[in-house]
Amino acid sequence: MTEESMSYNVGESAGASTESLLNDSGEVDEAAPSGPSALDPRLAPIAKNPERVEKVIVGLFVLGLLGFAAFGALYWHGGRQPQLEGVFIGVGLMSLGFGLSSWGKYLMPRGPFVEERHPLASEPQAQEEFKEALVGRGKYVLKRRGFLAGLMGLAATVFAIVAAFPFIRSLGPVPGDILDKTSWKRGSRLVTADGRPVKVDTLQVGGILTVFPEGHAGSAIAQTVLIRAADVSITTKPGRESWAPEGYIAYSKVCTHAGCPVGLYQEQTQQLLCPCHQSLFNVLDGAQPVFGPAPRPLPQLPLMIDSEGFLRAQRGYEVPIGPGFWSRS
Amino acid sequence: MKAYHLLIPIALVAIVAVVGPLSSDAHGPTLASSTAVLSSRDSTALSNAGDGSSTSSKKHASNVIHLPKSYIPEGRILFEESCASCHGPTAEGSSRAPNLVGLGEATIDFWLSTGRMPLSAPTVQPVEKPPRFNKKQILEIVAFVHSLGPGGPGIPRVNLHGANLANGQSLFTLNCAACHTVTGSGDMLANGVFAPSLHIATPREIYEAIRTGPGNMPRFGPNTLSRKQVEDIIDYVRGPIQHPNNRGGIGLGGVGPVAEGFVAMLALAGLILVVFWIGERS
Amino acid sequence: MIDQALGWLDERLGVSKSGKKFLDKIFPDHWSFMLGEIALYSFVVLVLTGVFLTLYYVPSTKEVIYHGRYLPLVGKRMSEAYASTLHISFGVRVGLLMRQTHHWAADVFVAAIAVHMIRVFFTGAYRKPRELNWIIGVTLLMLAIVNGFIGYSLPDDLISGTGIRIAFSITESIPLVGSYLAFFLFGGNYPGTAIIPRFFILHVLILPAIIAVLIGAHMGLLIRHKHTQFPGPGRSEDNVVGSPLWPNFAAKTTGFQLIVFGVLFALGGLIQINPIWQFGPYLPYKVSYAVQPDWYMGWLDGALRIMPSWEFAGFGHTIPFEVFLPGVVLPLVTTLFFFAWPFIEERFTGDHAPHHLLDRPRDRPLRTSFGAAVLAFYVVLFGASSTDVIANFFHITLNTVLWSFRFLVVIVPIVVGVITNRICHELAGTAQPREARPRRMPNVIVRSDEGGYETYPVSPYPEDEAIELEPEPVPVNVDQDATA
Repeated sequence: MTEESMSYNVGESAGASTESLLNDSGEVDEAAPSGPSALDPRLAPIAKNPERVEKVIVGLFVLGLLGFAAFGALYWHGGRQPQLEGVFIGVGLMSLGFGLSSWGKYLMPRGPFVEERHPLASEPQAQEEFKEALVGRGKYVLKRRGFLAGLMGLAATVFAIVAAFPFIRSLGPVPGDILDKTSWKRGSRLVTADGRPVKVDTLQVGGILTVFPEGHAGSAIAQTVLIRAADVSITTKPGRESWAPEGYIAYSKVCTHAGCPVGLYQEQTQQLLCPCHQSLFNVLDGAQPVFGPAPRPLPQLPLMIDSEGFLRAQRGYEVPIGPGFWSRS
Repeated sequence: MKAYHLLIPIALVAIVAVVGPLSSDAHGPTLASSTAVLSSRDSTALSNAGDGSSTSSKKHASNVIHLPKSYIPEGRILFEESCASCHGPTAEGSSRAPNLVGLGEATIDFWLSTGRMPLSAPTVQPVEKPPRFNKKQILEIVAFVHSLGPGGPGIPRVNLHGANLANGQSLFTLNCAACHTVTGSGDMLANGVFAPSLHIATPREIYEAIRTGPGNMPRFGPNTLSRKQVEDIIDYVRGPIQHPNNRGGIGLGGVGPVAEGFVAMLALAGLILVVFWIGERS
Repeated sequence: MIDQALGWLDERLGVSKSGKKFLDKIFPDHWSFMLGEIALYSFVVLVLTGVFLTLYYVPSTKEVIYHGRYLPLVGKRMSEAYASTLHISFGVRVGLLMRQTHHWAADVFVAAIAVHMIRVFFTGAYRKPRELNWIIGVTLLMLAIVNGFIGYSLPDDLISGTGIRIAFSITESIPLVGSYLAFFLFGGNYPGTAIIPRFFILHVLILPAIIAVLIGAHMGLLIRHKHTQFPGPGRSEDNVVGSPLWPNFAAKTTGFQLIVFGVLFALGGLIQINPIWQFGPYLPYKVSYAVQPDWYMGWLDGALRIMPSWEFAGFGHTIPFEVFLPGVVLPLVTTLFFFAWPFIEERFTGDHAPHHLLDRPRDRPLRTSFGAAVLAFYVVLFGASSTDVIANFFHITLNTVLWSFRFLVVIVPIVVGVITNRICHELAGTAQPREARPRRMPNVIVRSDEGGYETYPVSPYPEDEAIELEPEPVPVNVDQDATA
């Protein structure tokens, strides 16, 4: 169907098919003025009893009005009452919405109406012309001047690269070996989050504490979990005989899976659990993962106790802490 | 079009009528009590004075409850009736149950007064239930077990006057939230062990649990958390944890996005019902 | 007055012809065509409430001491971001309502996109010529998820901070460039001070702008292509049957917009979401158990949880597949696969014709069962994001739950696919083409006085008969009184 033939000839098409339907919905018949070819059933509302619907909509709109007024009054009153605020404005909006939707659904022409769909694709000739214009003119431009185009392309490419650089490279420093290091050093004293140094009697057996190297309390990278698993020295792995004096074991608190703080210590089973993805580490076995997605043990910090009874790191972590990354060897 | 559409807003108003007072109940007392606490709070922050182990318990005699010797005979009878079959007649333990000698009065008091002991059958982790014994009977058993061998923390007298809520919040999120969750709801740990909810814990139970580390819980001795710090934590648990400020409405049990996502799905389902009404269904 | 205005406009823009066509645009009446509108109107709520929030939120990690109304945190050090979120929740009038409505709207926004997408998929509405619009839709879904996560991170509370830490680790896991990308994104090593302001500008400007433009393109293409429709009487590949934009659909959809607004504001007032004051400020060494991201990130979190610990280490390098696969590859493959789906299907079926009539899911058993299987896969991953909650609820061990999910993620999709396929074949029953099959009528059995039985068909809904009218173009004026 073309535009021209899409005439809005209501009476004609309606006349024949409506007769029987009008009998079905008697009210429509009464409500509308009777003309010879006047009544198109598509223009009648769905509602059998429009007056009643109108009444309900009036009720809804009034309720909406009341809701908004109540919200306004509440706000004016200054009451910090999120529940009432939400309800007043919510009920107001919903009432208005249900009223308007009902209006559209029940009181407007029921249809059905139709719209023609035309093919999306253009005529072959138009397609051809477009292609010809685009390609043909392009060829004309480049004819014997390919060198110019190449040079301009090169310049544009260089611009794109140098322009992208500030956007990406300026964002931050390159990692270098930052990810391999923590601020733990030979002889660093262990301190708590509020900076108190940890002494040999700070923890009871079965105790746990989050510690940092002195001067770096609160560090996200150097955070370490200190556990006292016994009151005698413990060897968690061969070669780590001196690492856990008096039963004090220290592991990096940064999970080797996704970097969450591994803070859940199950004292009887001697396990550390990561709260994010439930990796489980065996405290007595060098924090070897026993369950869950973590691939590597938590690095262990070698400890010592100085003559005054303070806990110190023998040295920093031997391996990079935390999750894996490409340049981690 | 039916008149029942009016019911939706009416129902909502009804919900509010119920919810409104509930939520204000929930946060009313909290705010009030925190005001009281804050107004009287001591501005000196962390007092580093450890209350020591067995020696200092004598020094700060008022900090622990002393049980009279006269409790011991009754305690022995109760112990033999209800505990000795597993723990042995002198609490030395057996293949089924641990040694209780020297664990301290706080330990025994915690397990009995939270109803976790005695057990009807061995389990991975005893759960909290109404205590089998009354308060006096519990103290009698405690006195008996303590008479078998000294050591361990005593039953604390908790004093929340001067506790600092903000310090409590900080210490709670650092030391407790990792297992008990930041809202104190508790959750499942590894190997079938769980961190219980803190929502009904009493100050004495919290104190005893922190000091004695029941089950898989770590132990926080007086050099790790001072008496003042433990009381700060207890103040925070008794306040915002047990009576959260649910200013935003229904709290959904404090389990976070899982419950919230579920509500979002319900809301979406409701909206789909609305389009189901607006649109045609054939 | 209105004559003058329209005349003025038309003389300058020439809008009358296209304007009239636009008013006549037909929207199918079937309810399933309004699912996308839930998403659209949620987005409007997001923008409105979001603008309000930007007036008070301070995107800064600078440390301040809190002196607001929430007493348990008074006197504590915290980031300005967290302090300003507390201020929105306790100090700003209707601030908490706006914040919670914003968050609920985000949750519903993504859910509505997903449901809309499910409708489009199972009815085959993405087929030629609508592949581009499908791609735009998938992009919108992914952007909505990303922006939701970023917005969730902005308050800088204890739980969302942990999420940012995981985001850093996921970025770091990309082979070769991961640690560079992570350092660029965060302006250095974790945690740094740059991420909150950067997330802020992404959340309030860049991503919403892209989303808004894509929504515009989505709807522009919708108008260009016109709606699809279910087959039925009077409906063909060459027409659209339904209600005109003006006035029917305008009234219905505006009403529905208000309903969506109302539901979201009622939720925002009545049901608490993300009570950040209960969580406390973020400190990198603190953590809470039972941390989950918002629901739409659940599939990624679940994948991270159930992924086995397959890290590759060798040749001086590490590839953390246990993070890279679920955290980077899974969302990428998901996006690309969804992008490619219309073309995959076209190649598979060899069907290059344009389609405007929708499929009933049962009539395309292969697509339907495949789609159900894919959906089941993501639902299982979503379930896996709450392993600890499930374990706690059913009192089973984490170990059991985790291993169950590792198997379920493979088994459930297969089972769902097979069962769906069976159901489709059962339902399809007859091989007759759908258009030719008469509508099935219920029968009424009547017993006569003599004891004999008589059967005759009836219409299930007598009102339906009126709908079977021949559809007509919309008349210029729809007023019955005027046309009479």
